[in-house]
This record gives sequence, C-alpha cells and structure tokens, in this order.
Amino acid sequence: MTMPMLTVENLMASYGVVRALHGVSLEVNEGELVALLGVNGAGKSTTLKSITGILRPVKGSITFLGTEITNRKPEWIVKQGLSLVPEGREIFGSLTVEENLRLGAFVSYQRDRYKADLKEIFELFPILEERFSQPGGLLSGGEQQMLAIARAMMAHPKLLMLDEPSLGLSPAMTDSIFVLIKRLREMGSTILLVEQNAERALEIVDRAYLLANGEVDFAGSAEDLKRKVDIASVYFGGDDAAPCEVPL
Amino acid sequence: MIDLEFLINTLSLGSLYALLALGLVLVYGILKLVNFAYGEYIMIAGYGLYFSATVLHLPWWATMLFGVAAAVLTSYLTELAAFRPVRNKSANALIVTSFAVSIFLQNAVLILVSPRARAVQLPPIFSQTVNIAGATTPVRNLLIIGTTITVLILLSLLMKKTVLGMAMRAAADKFTTTRLMGVPANLVISAAFIISGLLAGIASIFWIGRSASVDPVTGAAPLLIAFIATVMGGMHSPTGAVVGGFVYGLLFNVLSITLPASMISYRDAFMFVIVVLFLLFRPEGIIKGGYTEERVG
Amino acid sequence: MSLFARFLKLAQKHSALPMIMIPVVLVGIGVNMFGSSLLLNVYTYFCVSLIMVLGLQMFMGNSGILNWVHIGFVGVGAYASGILSTAPLVKSMGVPNMFPALVELNMPVIPAIMVGGLVAALLAAIIGYPLMRLSDFVGVITLFATLIVFHVIMTQWDNVTNGPRTFFGVPEFTTLTVALIGALIALAVAYWFRESGLGLRLRASRDDRYAAMSIGIDVVRVRYYGFITSALVAGLAGGVWAHFITSFSPKAFYISEMFILLSMVVIGGSGSISGAFMGTVFVTVGRELLRQVEGTINNAHLLSFEVYGLTEAVMAIFMIVILIWRPGGVVGGQELRWPLFKRNKPIVTKEVEDGV
Repeated sequence: MTMPMLTVENLMASYGVVRALHGVSLEVNEGELVALLGVNGAGKSTTLKSITGILRPVKGSITFLGTEITNRKPEWIVKQGLSLVPEGREIFGSLTVEENLRLGAFVSYQRDRYKADLKEIFELFPILEERFSQPGGLLSGGEQQMLAIARAMMAHPKLLMLDEPSLGLSPAMTDSIFVLIKRLREMGSTILLVEQNAERALEIVDRAYLLANGEVDFAGSAEDLKRKVDIASVYFGGDDAAPCEVPL
Repeated sequence: MIDLEFLINTLSLGSLYALLALGLVLVYGILKLVNFAYGEYIMIAGYGLYFSATVLHLPWWATMLFGVAAAVLTSYLTELAAFRPVRNKSANALIVTSFAVSIFLQNAVLILVSPRARAVQLPPIFSQTVNIAGATTPVRNLLIIGTTITVLILLSLLMKKTVLGMAMRAAADKFTTTRLMGVPANLVISAAFIISGLLAGIASIFWIGRSASVDPVTGAAPLLIAFIATVMGGMHSPTGAVVGGFVYGLLFNVLSITLPASMISYRDAFMFVIVVLFLLFRPEGIIKGGYTEERVG
Repeated sequence: MSLFARFLKLAQKHSALPMIMIPVVLVGIGVNMFGSSLLLNVYTYFCVSLIMVLGLQMFMGNSGILNWVHIGFVGVGAYASGILSTAPLVKSMGVPNMFPALVELNMPVIPAIMVGGLVAALLAAIIGYPLMRLSDFVGVITLFATLIVFHVIMTQWDNVTNGPRTFFGVPEFTTLTVALIGALIALAVAYWFRESGLGLRLRASRDDRYAAMSIGIDVVRVRYYGFITSALVAGLAGGVWAHFITSFSPKAFYISEMFILLSMVVIGGSGSISGAFMGTVFVTVGRELLRQVEGTINNAHLLSFEVYGLTEAVMAIFMIVILIWRPGGVVGGQELRWPLFKRNKPIVTKEVEDGV
C-alpha cells in the first residue's frame, strides 16, 4: 500500500481560548477527490487553514508527500506543492486578472511553461481571457471564483484545496463550478474540497469526511455517506433536535 | 499671483513632499505601520552626507550614494531588529515600537556625534540660481522636480512590471493570501522598507540641501510633512501619497503668500487645522483605496 | 457569615487598589521621614507622573487609541493654573506681553489647579468630538498633528504663555503630601472609571468596534466622554506639576515628555491600572539610575565629550524589548489580585482526553 499524499493526524487548533478542532485525522491519496463536509463552525476551514500554515495548530501533525509540514510558513508549504483556494475567493482586487495569475505562478514560474499554462487556463476559463487586463475587483463573484481556482492552479499544485467554492454563488454558477471541479479531477488533479453543500459535493467526490464540532464524525466513500448518513439530519439537528413547532 | 516662479516653487516643494510621503505609505500599505522612525532615515542620510564628505572626503556624487545607502541600511536594519519581532502584535505595539526606534536613533546620534548641527557640503549647483523665462529659481528646485519624475517612473515600472512589485501590491491588498501564493512575507516587507529607505535618502539630499546642515532632530519636520501629506492624499495607495504631497506643497505656498506677517509663525498650526477639518469630511483622503469592495453574485 | 464571605469576595475582586495604594502611602511616609532631599524630589515627581500616566491610561488603555495630545492637556492645565495662581506683579515682569486681563487674574492655588483641569477638559470637549470619529491610523496621525498644533500655539502665543521662553514665578505648593494625595485620588478615579459603565463600554469599543456598535454602543460618544475625563485628569496633573516645578516652558509638553509617559504606560501595560502603576515605577527608577550613570560619566570626565541622551536611548531599547517580549506590557491587561501568585488565569482549555 502506498503512502497517502496528505496525512493529518490528531489535529487540534484553537482561536485564543476557544478550541475549534479536537483531534481531526484525515488522509488524501494521490488522484483522489475528497470532500470535507460539515455545517458552519464544524471546523472545516480551520482544518484547511492549519494545513496551509495560516493557523498554528496546538497539537497534531500534518505530513505531505512524506514531509512534515506542521508549523511551517504558508509560503514554504505552497512551495511543496499544496495550494489553497481560500474561502471568499480573496482575489487581489486592485491587480489585473493577468497579474493575479502571474502571482499564482510565483513558485513555479518558467517563461515557456507559463505561456502554455495560460493557454490551458483560457481553455478551461474562457472568461478570464476576455477579462485578462481588467482589475480582479471588477469581476463578478463567479468569475472571481474561477480566477481564484485558476490562480491556484498556476502553481502546479500536487494537491489543490478548495474552501467553499460555491459560497455566495448563484445556482447556475454553482453548477458550473462543480462541473469544473469534476473535470479537474478527471484531468488527474488531487483535490481536497471543503463544502457546506454536502449533497452537491457527494455527487462528485470519491470519499468524504464529515466534521461536527471539531471532530471527524464519519468517514467513508461517497456512497457510504449517502446511504448511512441522513445528510439533512446533519444540517437540521437530526433526531435529537426538537421538532419544529413554529408554523412556517 | 500665479506666475512661473510660484509654479516652479510649488512643483518643487510638492515633488519633495511627494517623495517623503511615498516612502511612508509604501511601508504603511503592507505592514499597516505608521512609521515614526521614518524621519530618522532622513536624518541618518544627512549624517551620511556629512560623514562621507567631511571625514572620508569623497566626491560629491559618492557622498550622495553614501547618504542614500545609509538611509536604506538603517531602514532595513530597523525592520529586522525592531519591526519584524512585533509584526504580529497589535497595531499600537507597532506604532509605539517605531516611536521608540525614532527616539533611540535620535539619541544614538546625539551621543555618537553631537547635539549640535553639522554643516553638510553639497555641490555648488545646489546653491546656484537660474533664470527661466524671467523667473529666478534655485537650480535645486529644478533638480528635485526632475529627480521626482524619474523616481516616480522607475517606481511605477517596478510596481507594475516586476513580480516583486505585483507581490507588494498584492500584499498591501491581502497579506495572507499573498503568502498563499508562495510569496515570502519577509521578502515583501523587507523590500518595502528598503524602498522606503531609498526614497527617504533621496528626499534627504534635497531636504538637507535647503539648509546645508544636519542635526539629531532634522527628521522631525519631514516626518510630519510625510504624515500629513499621506493622510490627506489617502493612506491606501502610492498615488494618494503623491497627490497628497503636491496638494500639501500647494497649500504651504498659498498660506505663505496669503497669511499676514504676524500670523506666519502659526502657518504650521493653520495647515494642520485645515487638514484635520478636511479629514473630518473625508477620512479616507483625496484618493480612495483600490477595488477593495468585492461584488457578490 | 455569608455576608462576610461576600465581603471577602468583593475585597478580593478589588484588591488591586489597596495593593497599590498601601505601598505608595508607606513608601511616601518613609521617604518623607527619612529620605534625602533628592529622594523626596524623585518621589514627589513619581507621584505627579503617576497622575499623568493614570489620566493617559484612562483613555488610551480603555479605548485603545494612542492619545498623543495627552501631554498637551497637561500643558494647558499647567499654564492655566500657573496664570491664575501667580502674583500679578510676577506675571507683569515675567511675561511682558501678557494680556492685561490675564495679568490681573489671581486666586489661591487649589482653585487655580481645579480651574486648570476644567480648562483642559473644556478644550477637550471643544476639539474632541470630531477627533474621536477618526479611527486607526488616520486617528493616530491626526492626534499627533493636534499635539503639534498645541505646541505651536504654546510657543507662539506670547500674550499668554510667554512664548518659547520660560514661564516662571509659579508659587510652590506641591509637596510630597499633596502629590501623594493627588496620586491616591487619581488611582481611585482611574480604577472607578475602568470599572464604570462608561469604562466598560469604552473597553468593548476597543476590543471590537463593530461588535460594540452592533449592541448599541455609540462608539464616538463613549470615546468622547473618555477623552474629556482623561483631559480633566491631565489638566489637574499639569496644575499639580506646575506648582511643583514652578517654572517651565512649552518644551515640557512635547514629544520627548510624551515619550516618557507613553513608555510608562506601555512598559507596564496600558490595559490595567496595575500596569500603568508598575510602568511608572519601572520608568521612574530606571530613569533616575540612568541619569546618575550619565551624570557620573560626565562628572568624572571618563570620556572626552559629554554624554547626552543615554537615558533616552536606553529607555527606548528597553521599551522595544518589552514590546517584543510582552506586547501587553509587564503586567498585561489584568489587574493585580490578592494573593499575588494565584492570579486569575484566563480559562485556557486544557487537553481534554475524552476518547479522541
């Protein structure tokens, strides 16, 4: 059995005195599309932030391609081949689309390859070619999300992590983002996807982890998860929750 | 009243102030630090000019390089020794640190050199005057305009055309995300301090050139000018700093002409009051930030 | 019994105040009885500084706004009370250009100091509201510029302040006892202010401006009231100081003096009264020791030149080291509590071993 690409073991993290993660463990194998699901505040983004080095975990270890990356700087981790598309897209609004993409290629820049990469990106996202010299801040939300993904891909990451790519997008735009993610996976990318929209995510992923209250509640294949866990219960409190008494 | 002499005066003063403000805003943009030690880079450059000319007897062009290099080095070293360790602490901790650095540098010069002013030798061209279309003006006024235009062009090329410049602009916008692109945090911050020191050094040559002397508190006045020009122009972009510098230069010259002689000693107070009043109506300054608002949909 | 227990609990909650006041009084009595005149001076100066620092802490510590103008209000209080209490004859000689109406004014020292405080507070009330609307860096720079405006006016308005020249002849009034009583009152007021509703709202606005607004706190207004209160204390402190030092010039109310006050607040920790107090102790002791060293070096002619600025340079380094090591100051944001070494720790989550 080969070693997983990314191994997170017993990760604990906190914001000041508030503990956000109580020992999260997960794995991502090469070529997989794995989802990290859960409600708001379950610890999904905290997990991603710890992996990318934005947050320093209190305890636990993160190994990427056999290298321990716990407590390293974000810029060093990116260089190892681990890119994050952050929540809320985080486009550099005053930089043009071109400049956003150029910065995405900061760690991997080679003149010839860069041109080819751009061509590839334009095939995936034709809108970015149209908007090439416009400031990123003038793009619509969906366009910004595409730019954010494209920007992360410019670094040729071995593992691409997406934090809530469908957040705040129109249903139509959400559809096309999911189609895109599926396509990226088919092209051979390894992806760790964080989503609130569990049902949509389970349609495209291989495996998934369900986070609740800073812990892994359930892990398994997408089919398992669909079968065994009533997704709705995760979001609306399930059996334990008081029945809704307020007439709607 | 708007004659050529006034125009050249205002342009040269504005150029100087723009350089001063620009150096301050570059660091502010990335680190969100109001750097009280910025005036000291100007002061150190002045001592660099003095030392290289009087002690080392270097030719004038070498003294200028020496002075600018001294400012760059001081700026970089203060970043390394003082600002880097407190970078992640509160904004007030950063400001107070910069204030302490400023006090330290002033007193270090006081101890090591002298509390008294030192004369700085500058090439004779700095004290010559020239006649253009009937207007008499010191040559250094034309030099500062030319220098500022050159510096602005080079700087905007750096910011627009190089990856380092893009990274600095990105870092001023979203610092953490810039690191997620693999851009080292220390690289952009050090670069900002080095450029800031460079601008302080260049501005210092012209600042010192007006009085031809330097003392431990030389940095206070240019620091204030840079402060006021940046808040007036807008703290969020280099363009704002440049605009603020020119507007401040204009305001200064207008007040110098219009204020009655008995009130001229209050000129600084008048200027600050005008600026404070202006800020109350437009706290973001003349030039607003870039495209910071994100659209949703 | 339960009443007694409740009293104990209350006493423990507010134990910071007696823990500071009792040593201040005891040392004061000791110095008064046995101290040399130098020590007496230093301790009086310490008490006066403490009033200024507490005034600064009241606003800056609770609101998080770096208040550069503070030393300016100290100056306003000093000049106002000095003008009121100094004999007309002395004034007409010392300040030749003074407005005749001001020359004639005269009143006893205590009311003069009170009026000095009120004048500072009034000035704060006039200029404060617009200033409090500005936050963050624009706020810092604007307050800094305001201090400069104060300084320009003090140095130029020679009909009132004698311009850049020394204003002298202020009657000596502030003994150690007076300064000590002043410091005790300031301690009580600053403590009460911090715990008051206004202080609480101000602290809330410091921690999160937008959250505070969202629960209905008028941030600008609470800042404004805090600013005025702080200026009142600064003005009173200025009056007490003026009647201790008896002659002064605008230089005393400018950046280098502000640096001393700021270092006192920052080294101890601006978030608490205990911090402001400890900072004042450290800086006063450190400053006096360094001055002695500087004086010894200069008197012994160890070096071929006179050493100036050593005190400030070392204080600056000390301040940077503290900021790197403990950005919240030596004491931090928590008040001291009795017993000292069982301080109420923040609730830090211990590792919970529950089947992970």
